[in-house]
Formats: sequence, structure tokens, C-alpha cells
Amino acid sequence: MVDELLFFMEVVVGGLLAGTMYSLVALGFVLIFKASATFNFSQGAMVFFSVLAFCGFMQDFNIPFVLAFILAALLMVVVGLCTERLVLRPLMNASEDTVLMATIGLGYVLEGLAQAAWGVEVRRLDLGIGDFPVPWIADNLKLFISALDIFAGLVAALMIIGLFLLFKFTKIGLGLRAVADDAGAASSIGIPLKHIMLLVWSAAGVVALVAGCMWGARAGVQFALVDLALKALPVLIIGGFSSIPGAIVGGLIIGATEKVLEVYIGPFFGGAIEGWAPYVLAIFFLLYRPEGLFGEKIIRRV
Amino acid sequence: MSNSSANILDIKNIEVRYDDVILALHDVSLKVPKGKVVALLGANGAGKSTTLKAVSTMLASERGKVTNGSIEYDGNSINKQTPSQMVGLGMVQVLEGRRCFGHLTVEENIISGAYSRKLSKGDINQELEKIYTYFIRLKERRKSQAAFTSGGEQQMIAVARAMMAKPKMLLLDEPTMGLAPQLVAEIFNIVKELNTKEGVSILLAEQNTNVALKNSDYGYIIETGRVMLDGTAQSLLNDDKVKELYLGISKKGRKNFRDVLKEESLTKRSN
Repeated sequence: MVDELLFFMEVVVGGLLAGTMYSLVALGFVLIFKASATFNFSQGAMVFFSVLAFCGFMQDFNIPFVLAFILAALLMVVVGLCTERLVLRPLMNASEDTVLMATIGLGYVLEGLAQAAWGVEVRRLDLGIGDFPVPWIADNLKLFISALDIFAGLVAALMIIGLFLLFKFTKIGLGLRAVADDAGAASSIGIPLKHIMLLVWSAAGVVALVAGCMWGARAGVQFALVDLALKALPVLIIGGFSSIPGAIVGGLIIGATEKVLEVYIGPFFGGAIEGWAPYVLAIFFLLYRPEGLFGEKIIRRV
Repeated sequence: MSNSSANILDIKNIEVRYDDVILALHDVSLKVPKGKVVALLGANGAGKSTTLKAVSTMLASERGKVTNGSIEYDGNSINKQTPSQMVGLGMVQVLEGRRCFGHLTVEENIISGAYSRKLSKGDINQELEKIYTYFIRLKERRKSQAAFTSGGEQQMIAVARAMMAKPKMLLLDEPTMGLAPQLVAEIFNIVKELNTKEGVSILLAEQNTNVALKNSDYGYIIETGRVMLDGTAQSLLNDDKVKELYLGISKKGRKNFRDVLKEESLTKRSN
């Protein structure tokens, strides 16, 4: 009985921590959705592009870890800059659907560029943190929890605190929230949309890099990362597209439920239900709570 | 800048098209003298908002374009400016429908107006206190979420927000739309105060002809994208045609200036 409970705990905690990695990917989507009301289909490609560049800098040019990370982050700022200048600005007055289509195109460009520059083989990324149970926790709490999961959880928490502080207490954060509410009114009082777009795309790029590092360390840096990032879709449906706390909680819920379902219900379906169970959950949310748990409801004063 | 001109805004014969096809303004000319309040009057769809957006250069975001004529602000053409550059030059538009940032607090809304200025935290607080002296009601509600304030308060937020950008000129688009008469008076009192104490020139688009003219120095009446009549506010208030068509003191069933002109030309011909 105790063993079973411990096993259940292990599944849930492991799921929650793995969920923070979904949260990290979802964060990138939320940032861009807030500013331009567009689902950025190129986010997965950004994850792949950024982490492949990071690996490339380290492995092909022997640049030390920290410097390579900074370079990759800067590269993502440059990508943000180019996106703003070459894609978003010409589409400034286009409909949201047009921008959505443009992000799909941008995704293909980034995927192609990444593979042209760094090759197509799977790369190993070693963060210096193993994907194996932490001995101290295993001995004392009898739970087998991966060190990488714990690290990912900590990093996600730090990113979230950082973004929260940025939005709540800085001038550009205020500008971003204003643009998210009413871009037209924001530009009427002199908030330059292009600065905000640049900030948001750069921030989303750096978030993509961090998420890519976590996923890459676990599954290898490979093309499949692009599709993994799409797991963020059910996360966002559950958490709400415009909410940072929503991305976090949505990620945790998806992480925990998919592991629990896999272990306890999976065998009845022949296993491997992790892949689609989150989408079933998302469909229930779409039916009964379409704005998600934390999504900003459209405020109507009565 | 050699800028001794008495007009802060000088619009000369502008024509505006949307989507390169729809002609919204045919021929509008108007002047705003420095430190004065000018009313731009007309019915829905007459071209009031379009005129204001042409001035603030916000037309582009609605696929509109000035296709003829010129606009000079403070002695310079505004041809190549963007909305945020216009704000930097001291020209701020308060859009129709208030357009507050609903999820931000009242105070955050107002502070966002100072975005284009490089101010320290201390300076911002100082400016904020000054703004609150005009908008006492907002100070009481500073921590409320803007979406949950009343229509009148939202209009005040929108004007206060624009004032944080330290404008030389304000463009107000229907500031009294949908407000109760008391609030209309309150808003206009504030506008007059900002005009006299802060020296802000004001171009005001309104449907509420009577109140607008009583609070302005000069007025223009536009219909279907053309200026039909202009004059000092006092002369317009006393004008028979304005009384008939805009102040509801009607004798015949005439609805607009075009009808009046048609009738006049008919009587001329029969004479």
C-alpha cells in the first residue's frame, strides 16, 4: 500500500516537473500572443533554431558554455529584430490571420536555416546535470525524481519571476500591457509598437532557447523538437492564451495528467497515450471553459 | 525653427481616401490658432474622425491616406511622421470611444501617457499629482481596474493619459459621446481649464453642437467630407441655418446644408 502511494507520488511529481518544460515552451507563445494576438506557429522552430545554434557554437567552434549561451541568446534577439523588420512591419495593418500565416512561413525558414547552418544530425547537449534520480531524494523520501526535472522546474520558476517583474515594474512592461489591451490607443499616446514587438519577439526567442536546452538535454537536439513544441497548444488552451500564470499551471496540469493517465489508464489502450491524452483534455476545456483557467475574459461592464 | 505663425495647425484642402478608393474627405481646410479651442461639428460619417486621424497620422493604420492638400503643424508639414513621432512633437489624439487600457489600473493608464517622455520616477509622480488636480475623481479611483470605471471616468482617464504626454495640442474625438448632461459639463469644464491653465490648443470633434460651440472659440461645420460653414463660435450659435439644422430649432423639414443650398439655388432661379 505504502509502496503504491509512493509510486503514485513519484508519477505525479515527475509529471509536474516535466510539465514545467511544457510551461517554458508555452511561455514563448504567450508573450507573442499578448502583444500581437497571434498564435506564433514558428515558436517550435525558434526552439529548434536557438538550441541548435547553441550546440553549434559549443561543438563546432569550441566556444565555452556560458559564452555560447550568450551568443545564442543574442542571435535570438537578432532573429527578433529581423522578424519585426521583415515580417511584422510590412504586415502592420494586415489582418491577424495574415500574420498567423506569416508565422507558419517564418517557422519553415528558421527550420531550413538552422539545418543549413548546423547540419541535420542529432546532437547531444550536456548541461552538466544528469537525467537520473537524485540520490538524496531517493534515499530520504524514497522517491525517484530526475535531477534534470528539478533543474527545469527551478529554471522555469526563475524565468516566470523575471518576466513578471519585467511586465509589472518596468516602463517597457507597462507599454507591452498597454499594447496587449489596445494597440491603437497605445500608438495614439506615443507607445512605439515596433519597440514592443522587438522586445516581445526577442524575449520569446530567449525563452525558446532556455526551453530548447531543457528538451535538448533530455531528448537530444533534433528536428523532433519542432513538433514537441506543439504540445504547448493544449497547455495554452487549458491555461489561457494570454496568461503567463496560465502557461505555468497549464503546463503542470498537462505534465501531471499525461503521466498519471499513461501509467494507470494507458495499459487499457495499449499504452503510449501520452501523445494524445493532453489533446483530449484540451477538447474538454474548449467545450466548457474556452478562455482557459487564467485567460483574460473579455471584461464587460454591466 | 522660425515659427512666428499664429496657427498651430493649418489644414489646406485635404482629400482623404480609404483603401485608395473610398473618398472620405473631399475638401477640408481649417485652422487652429495657438491656444484656442476649435470645434469640428457634423453628423455621423461627416468626416470628423477622419480629419482628426489625418492630423495625428493615424490614418495609415486604417488604410487611409491623405491624397491631396497639406497639413502643417507648428509650421512644419506632417507628411512623413508616424503617430508616435507626432506625440513626441506635442500632438496627441484622444480617440473616439475613450479606448482605455481595460486591464490596467487607472493610474497605470495615466502613467502610460508619459511613455514617449524620458522622465524619472520622481518626475512622473510630480506630473501625476498635477494631472490629478484637474481630475480629482480619478485620484480616488487610482487603484481600480480601468474597465470597471464609469463612462465619464473612462473619458477622463483618456484625456488625463493624453495630458501626461505634455501636449501642445490635443485632438479630442467626441469626448462627450454617451455621457449624461452633468458629465458633459464636467468634461468640458476640464477641457476649458486645460486650455486656459496649461495653454493647450484644442481641436474638438463633436456632435453635441450646442455645448461644443459654447466652449469653443471657433467652429467648422462639415458634411459629407466638405466644410459647409465656419465662423466664430458666437456667430455660429446665432446663425439661423445652424440653429435649424444642428440645434433642433427647426422651422422646415430641411435636414442638411445640401438641402439648404439646393433650395436657395432653386429660389434664385425662379426669381
